[in-house]
Amino acid sequence: MNNIWGDMSQYDPVTWHWVIAVYLFLAGLSAGAVMVALALRWAKGEQFESPIIKAAALVAPLAICLGMLCLVFDLTKPFHFWLILINYNLSSVMSIGVIALLLYIPLTFAYALLVFRAPLANWPLLGGVAEALLGWRKPLEVLLFGLGIVVGAYTGFLISAMNVYPMLNTAILPALFLVSGISAGAAANALVALIWFKTDSHSAEISGLHRVELPVVGIEMLFLLMLFSALYFKGGAAASALASLTTGQWAVVFWALVVGVGFGIPLLSRLLPAELRHGKGVTVLAACASLTGVLALRHFILYAGQSYIS
Amino acid sequence: MNKRYVMVHDENKCIGCQACNVACRTENDVPDGVARLQVRVEGPFGEMPNLHYSYARISCQQCEDAACIKVCPTGAAYRNDDGIITINKDKCVGCQYCVAACTYKVRFMNPVTRVADKCNFCTDTRLKRGEQPACVTVCPTNALVFGDANDASSEVAQIIATRATYRDKVHLGAEPRVYRIPAKKGGIAS
Repeated sequence: MNNIWGDMSQYDPVTWHWVIAVYLFLAGLSAGAVMVALALRWAKGEQFESPIIKAAALVAPLAICLGMLCLVFDLTKPFHFWLILINYNLSSVMSIGVIALLLYIPLTFAYALLVFRAPLANWPLLGGVAEALLGWRKPLEVLLFGLGIVVGAYTGFLISAMNVYPMLNTAILPALFLVSGISAGAAANALVALIWFKTDSHSAEISGLHRVELPVVGIEMLFLLMLFSALYFKGGAAASALASLTTGQWAVVFWALVVGVGFGIPLLSRLLPAELRHGKGVTVLAACASLTGVLALRHFILYAGQSYIS
Repeated sequence: MNKRYVMVHDENKCIGCQACNVACRTENDVPDGVARLQVRVEGPFGEMPNLHYSYARISCQQCEDAACIKVCPTGAAYRNDDGIITINKDKCVGCQYCVAACTYKVRFMNPVTRVADKCNFCTDTRLKRGEQPACVTVCPTNALVFGDANDASSEVAQIIATRATYRDKVHLGAEPRVYRIPAKKGGIAS
């Protein structure tokens, strides 16, 4: 519209677009993969490099680095990204995230070196570093797990810190993103273990992942319900944001991809006969469905969240 | 005593001419397609022949509790010695966190400099020279008054003390420093 006061396009409340949704997905997935794999390793007291731990050691650094690329190239001055590494503002969630990621990213690489020390043994420098890290394995794992929680939750804190967006400015968002990151991480671990490391889909490792699935999806559903009911009872602008569940393309994304594909397919696959449900095809399908659901959830929250302002 | 620069927009006097908008664009080198300042003219409201329009100044509100300063990861969004929120271009990486977080949605990315931009009451140019912001100087009806509200003898302090004023979105707690005198035609006596 040709207003007397000028162009209105800068006032579109949707500031961050799909690249940021992909970044939030990849960061959550990286942290989730680490947490799930380490938790299973500790629970079973494993002394060998299981396909799941190998998968996580591969997925965690790759996913977070891809996410970083998304983040840097979404800046309007991508080649000045180093400014964010030398200037800090501790009241900014993004600054705290930079600190967390500066610790987390090198640790994911260190852990990958440690896990893949056998194939790296003949490399002059890497083999030596990997062997040296072995003595520090337990503290490294504990630190990595802790930082996984920080990074996973940070992706939610990042967007919940903006009180102009009622759907984002909720206490549950960091918890929701942490849990859905765990579900994405478990799915990514399963996929890489099955396809890359050729694990048997009936193996103990994969069934361990299956046991994580149900409680995680249950908690995710509960957190979504808490988010929506909090908005409903808050009323006003917050309640208006619930229109995103019934109208527009993001309603379709939510009900079809987040609920239908992301929750529906993995849950329905559990109703199949045991032989079929633990088959490679069904396991891969359920993992892909989980990943699609989590990616769709990040898009839904980011776009629907930014579309309604207080 | 610290300064507390505020602006008062008298919506009775405003005629929506956009002279402020144009003066701001010239003074601050604001590129086409983006704006630090607009006056939104909406209406007509009411029944013939008693029609009226509303005039809303859309610009940085210079919040006391500013979301942009809190979220900026590099400190590029900061409050200067005069208490005015402005931008250090050399520190901005263009993450757009401030644009997203702004309570009043008045920050934007400058397409030429590629850094965040917004009204800073002409702090680096006119204010430094002891002049009033460009929008205030150019207003043909004197609808804008600018000054230090901590100085009890200033015109803004007296307006705030004696006239009925309102501020936008106070429920969000940002404590904006742009005061508005509501139009009488809206039914509020001031």
